[in-house]
Amino acid sequence: MKKSLRFLALATALALIAVALAPSAQAAQTVNLVLMGWSSSPSENERLQKIVDDWNAANPDIQVTLNQVPDYDTTLQKALASGEPPDVFYVDSFRFLDLVRADALMPIGDRLTDIDDFYPALRNAFTANGQFYCPPKDFSTLALQINTEMFEAAGLSAPTTWEEMRAAAEKLTKDGVFGVVVPADFARWIAFLYGAGGSVTDDEFTKMTINSPEAEAALKFYTDLYLDGFAKTPADLGVGWPGEAFGKGLVAMAFEGNWVEPYLKDQFPDLKYKAVELPAGPAGKATMAFTVCYGVPKKAKNPDAAIKFVDYLTGAEGMKAWTDLGLAMPTRASLRKGWLEKFPNLEPYLNGAEYARKWQFVPGFQAVLDKVNEQLSLVMSGNQTVKGALAEIERVGNEVLASR
Amino acid sequence: MAVAAPSVGKRGGFQLSAKGQENVAGFLFILPALIIIVIFIFLPLLSAFLISFTNWNGLQPPAEAQNVGLRNYERIFGLDGTTVVRDEFFVAIKNTFYYTLGVVPTQTALALILAFIVNQQFLRFRGFFRVAFYFPSITSSIVIATIFLWLFNRNGVINGVIGGVASALGLNYTPVTWLNDANGIIHNFLRLFGLTARTAPAWMTETNILGQSIWQWISGPSVTMLAIMLLAIWTTTGTMMLIFLAALQDIPRQLYEAASVDGATRLQQFFLITVPMLRPATFFVLTIGLIGCFQVFDQIYVISQGNPAGTTKTIAWIVFRNLRDSQAGLGAALAFVLFVIIAIFTIFQRRLVGKTVQQ
Repeated sequence: MKKSLRFLALATALALIAVALAPSAQAAQTVNLVLMGWSSSPSENERLQKIVDDWNAANPDIQVTLNQVPDYDTTLQKALASGEPPDVFYVDSFRFLDLVRADALMPIGDRLTDIDDFYPALRNAFTANGQFYCPPKDFSTLALQINTEMFEAAGLSAPTTWEEMRAAAEKLTKDGVFGVVVPADFARWIAFLYGAGGSVTDDEFTKMTINSPEAEAALKFYTDLYLDGFAKTPADLGVGWPGEAFGKGLVAMAFEGNWVEPYLKDQFPDLKYKAVELPAGPAGKATMAFTVCYGVPKKAKNPDAAIKFVDYLTGAEGMKAWTDLGLAMPTRASLRKGWLEKFPNLEPYLNGAEYARKWQFVPGFQAVLDKVNEQLSLVMSGNQTVKGALAEIERVGNEVLASR
Repeated sequence: MAVAAPSVGKRGGFQLSAKGQENVAGFLFILPALIIIVIFIFLPLLSAFLISFTNWNGLQPPAEAQNVGLRNYERIFGLDGTTVVRDEFFVAIKNTFYYTLGVVPTQTALALILAFIVNQQFLRFRGFFRVAFYFPSITSSIVIATIFLWLFNRNGVINGVIGGVASALGLNYTPVTWLNDANGIIHNFLRLFGLTARTAPAWMTETNILGQSIWQWISGPSVTMLAIMLLAIWTTTGTMMLIFLAALQDIPRQLYEAASVDGATRLQQFFLITVPMLRPATFFVLTIGLIGCFQVFDQIYVISQGNPAGTTKTIAWIVFRNLRDSQAGLGAALAFVLFVIIAIFTIFQRRLVGKTVQQ
């Protein structure tokens, strides 16, 4: 009796030690990471969660929690300012330089696999001071969406130049339908500015170069579409954004990014349309690239684990899993072929990667963007001349650049 | 009850005078509220004040920001020779001023009239009306703003109703693009008399005061701002009505009885008894209305984001925009300027309306 009790006690003690040791030995090696991003469409959220789950299953030593937060910019701001940033987070190319200047990002480009495979334009969007900071997770470009039903009825083919676009807009403006929807938005007009060979500032952001004959041509082309009656703004049409105007058949053309594709399929399944590359301006083709990278903070607690995870997400395997959904485009040139086989109709957007410009300015430039939007809508309402608008933008921009 | 201060009294215990005991008790009672106010109001206020003298970008820990002295304030008022921040600030001042000028008197008058009506004994379903008028005030401003987005949509209900009435009267109505119309309503009015930016005299269009010509200063609120003003009036009138209603019920009935014995008409009673007796309530309503107007933000955020052409940029909006766009130091400075403006107006208003409140 006594013996068996002692044995039982010993066995229990051993079992307890074993139980206690086993997880602690494992816990000492497990690194927990938080990936913070914004929430997008439900299917994208699900896909990302699945990729993270697969990673967790394959990597017991690095466990990742996906945290998709509302009001992302403010949440990130708070997390960074409190000195407790998430281990990996989304960085929009538009906010990238702000974060670099605040010394919030760790340059991890050197530690990633095959970075030459990323499209140069996208790598460039996350390069500052000669360092490649963070790998682009995906990207979007602008293209021209055309209503094929209307184009065929009018006997028109897809426009490839500004002249053809204007002619098509003119011809298709009838019976309450307008040729094209033009928002008073710099993020759209800028593609035309580049198409005309213009620029916003010099390469070093020391002075504005927007008051040029090229910019004048671009602004005139853009606003004349509206002033001559071939185009309307989303608000004029009583819709929230250009994609809605196009989906509802209120216009024959729109120029939006590939985010418009799932929306149109979802909301307007019967719409007959296709996307083509933005019509070339006097200086050739141009479009805008909007891209987001996976950033690792300078103050990362587990930089090695975080970099390993990011390298997986943006590596050939992780990126293929992510972009197979057909919503986001792969940033690696090596994935282009496989992706296009699946989504041939999205080729015009992906082609944009070759000549797209980045949507990125210096910190403090928001005041200039606001000014451009303001001047755009003033020109479109007939309260400002094209020349006056450019001079005003130049004046404000130069002052902002000088006071940096 | 616990008396905490340590001191040795006659009997080896601790004794306070009756007055001292009252003081301690009083402080103990307000202590919970005081702690909360200090932590959540005074400390943030103080830190915002300190931040307004730095170039904090909102991304680093604030301690890493550099001190820039009065630079942010100099930029706001253009004292350093730059104009970008100054011009935007004065555009916001203009917009906020027109907004306040339209909203405060309208909502106050409307609230007074509504309160007077729902206070009438003869009115049937008084309870229903009181609830109905108050209802907009208890609904989230974001929700209401989103609904107004639909109402004021170009193909929305508002244009539908106006169009319907117009066609019934045989008139032609071109739908107004409420949410994207940068034209000032005073400009629109002047256009009826043939006065536009092109025909206005040169002294109006060419004199530049703080970044805008006189012609631009007198634009009035833009059509889009007008829609937001209507929304604000509709939402806040209920709250103001409630305050007036409470005050109305405090007016002794004898005053009205005496007045009617003296042969005063109902209209005379309203202007000679009701309105003067409501002075304290009116002061209160005007003050909170003014403060609310100077801080208008939610509706702008949902409906227009400062567009079109910057005509709905308000001071609170540019404070937010600077905080968001990595210029938190400048944003904090703007917030303090807004604070001072509100304080000045409140004091001024107190002089104007408040004198007799003391009686």
